[in-house]
Amino acid sequence: MSEVFDVQLINTALRQATPLILAALGGLMSERTGVINIGLEGKILMGAFAGAYGALLTGSPWVGLGCAMVVGLFFALLHAVATQEFRTDHVVSGVAINLLALGLSTYLFRQLILPREERGLSSVVQGFAPLKAGWLEQLPVLGALLRDQTWLVPFAVLLPFALFWVLNRTRWGLRVYAVGNDAVKARTMGVPVKAIRYSGVLLSGVLAGMAGAFLTLASADQFRENMSAGRGFIALAALIFGRWHPLGAAAAAFGFGFFEALQMRLQGQPLFGIQLPTDLLLMLPYLLTVIALAGSFGKMKPPSDLGNP
Amino acid sequence: MKRGLTVRWLWQALVGAAMVFGTLTLLIALTGQPIGASYRILLQGAIGFPADPQLSPLDAWDNTLHDMTLLLLTGLSVAIALQAGLFNIGAAGQLLMGAFVAAWIGGISNLPASVHLPLTLLMGALAGALWAFIPALLKVWRGAHEVITTIMFNYLALYLTHWLLVERLKDPAGDAPQTAPVLASAQLPPLGGLMNTSWGFVLTLLLALLLWLWLYRTVWGYELRATGANREAADAAGIPTRRYLIVAMLLAGALAGLGGAVEVCGTQYRFFEGFPSEYGFDGIAVALMGANHPAWSVLTAFVLGALRNGTYNLHVVTGAPKEIATIVQAVLILYVAALRLRRARLEG
Repeated sequence: MSEVFDVQLINTALRQATPLILAALGGLMSERTGVINIGLEGKILMGAFAGAYGALLTGSPWVGLGCAMVVGLFFALLHAVATQEFRTDHVVSGVAINLLALGLSTYLFRQLILPREERGLSSVVQGFAPLKAGWLEQLPVLGALLRDQTWLVPFAVLLPFALFWVLNRTRWGLRVYAVGNDAVKARTMGVPVKAIRYSGVLLSGVLAGMAGAFLTLASADQFRENMSAGRGFIALAALIFGRWHPLGAAAAAFGFGFFEALQMRLQGQPLFGIQLPTDLLLMLPYLLTVIALAGSFGKMKPPSDLGNP
Repeated sequence: MKRGLTVRWLWQALVGAAMVFGTLTLLIALTGQPIGASYRILLQGAIGFPADPQLSPLDAWDNTLHDMTLLLLTGLSVAIALQAGLFNIGAAGQLLMGAFVAAWIGGISNLPASVHLPLTLLMGALAGALWAFIPALLKVWRGAHEVITTIMFNYLALYLTHWLLVERLKDPAGDAPQTAPVLASAQLPPLGGLMNTSWGFVLTLLLALLLWLWLYRTVWGYELRATGANREAADAAGIPTRRYLIVAMLLAGALAGLGGAVEVCGTQYRFFEGFPSEYGFDGIAVALMGANHPAWSVLTAFVLGALRNGTYNLHVVTGAPKEIATIVQAVLILYVAALRLRRARLEG
C-alpha cells in the first residue's frame, strides 16, 4: 500500500489535474452565462497544437502559451457568434467545433510539424522549466508537492479562489449570475446580456487554450494527434459534479486528476499483489466520469437559463 | 409563399456549396499542390471520373459505396437518436463493440452455416445496442448528459475491445494484434458482377427504407418524434417519453453496432488493433445535413462517402492530409445548424 500512496502521487495528481481545472473553470465561465460549452475538448486540442507550434518556431514557451490562448479565443469566438448571432443549438455548435479542431489540428500537424521532422529538425518543444521555489522547497509536504512543477500548477490551484471572488464580489460577476439564471429578467434590468455572454464564452476559450498549452508545454514535450483524449469532456463532468461552483468544479477536477495519477502509478506497480491490465487501468478516468455524472449527490442545479437563446 | 421558400432553399444550397468548395480549395492550396489537378484527383477517387489509369472507376465506386454504407448506418444511428431529442456522439464506440462481437461470433466454427451470418450481424447490432443502453438509462434515470456519457463510452469501448482482443481473441497464428478471420459462412458476399461492394450496402438501404416507414408511417414513430420535438408536450399528451428515449438509443446503438458487424463480415473479415471507428463521428454530419431524415441521409451519406474517398485518393497520390474531409464536414455541420435555427426564426 505505502508504495502506491505517497506524496509523489499527490504531486502527479496536481499535474494531471491542472489542465482539467483550467478547462473546467473555462466551462464554468461559459455555462454560468448560460452558454453550453461542449467544445472545450476542441479548444484544448487546438491550444495544445498552437502551444507546441508557437514554442517550436520561437523557442519560447511564453509565445507558445500566447498562441494557445489566442487560438482558444478564436474558437470560442466562433462558438459565441454561432450561438448568439445565428442562434445555433449550443450542443451542435460545440460538437462541430470539436470536429473542426480534431481535423484542423491533425491537418496542421501533418503540414507544419511532421515536415520539420523529415528535414531532421526536432519536434520536441522547449517547455516551461520547473519552478525554483527556494525556501518553500524545504517545507515538509508543500516542498514535495511543488517539486518539478511548472508555474501553471500553483496558478491552477489559486485560480478557482480568484474566480470565486470575482464572481461574487464584482459587478461583472454578479451580472454573469443574473444572465445565467434569467436572461430575460437581466435584460429588462439593463444588463447587456449579449456582451456578458460573449465575455464568458471568450474567457472559456482562453482558459481551455491554456489547458491545451499545459499539455504540450508542461506535460508532454510534443504534440500528438488527438492528444486531448477526452479531457474537455472530463472537465465538463467535473463542472457538473462540482455544481457549477468554482471551488466545487476545481475540487472535482482534482479528484479526476488524482485517479489519473493513481491509474498511471498502478500501471507499474501491483495493488495488493495483483498487477491490473493496462487497458483496464486506462478505462478508469472515463469510467469515473460516467459514475460521477450518474451519481448525483443531492440536487444538481444547472444555471437555470442554460442553453436558452 | 411556396416559390419564396424554394428560392431561399436554392440560395442556401448555393451558399453551402460555396463554403464547401471554398474550404476545400483553401485546404488544398495550403498543401502547395496545384488546385485544378487536385480536384481532378479528388473526383477520380470519389466517382472514378475523369478516367485514371492508376485507379479503375469500378474500384472508386466500390470504395465510395463501401464508405456510404458505413456512413449511412452511423448517420441513421445519430439521426434516430436526434429524432427523439438525444445527441448520440457514441456511434464510434458502438461500432467498435459491434465489430468486435461480430469478429468473435463470426469465428465460432460449430454453428449451422445457414444461421451463422444473420446471427453474427444480429449479435453485432446487439452489442452496439447494449453500449448505447447504459448511457440511455443514465440519461433517463439520473439526467446524466448523453453527450458526455456516450463520448466516455467511446473511450471505454476502445480500451475494452483492445484488452479483450489481446487477452482473449488474438489470432494464435502470428503476433499481430488481430483476431482470426471470420469463417466463410459468416461473410457478406460481394454484390457480384464487376462490383466488390458487399450485400451490406443493399441491407443498409433496406434498413433506411424501413426506418423511414417506421418513423413516418407508424404511431410509434410519430410518438418518438413527438418526444424529440417537445418532451413536456409529449408527456402531457400521455406519451411514455422515457420509454421512447430508451428505444431511440437502443435503435441508434444497434445501427452503429451493425455498421461494425457489416465492416467485419463484408470488408475486413476480422477485428484488429486500430479498427476504423471514425465513421461514428462522420455519421453526425450525415444526420445533421440529412435533417435527421432517412431518405435525405441516403443522399448525404453518398456525398460524404464520395468526399471521403476523394480526399483519401488525394492523400494517396499527393500526400495531402486526409483530415481535409473532417474539416469540411465540421464546416458543413456549423453551416447547416446555423441555417436551421435561422429558418425557424424567420418562419416562426
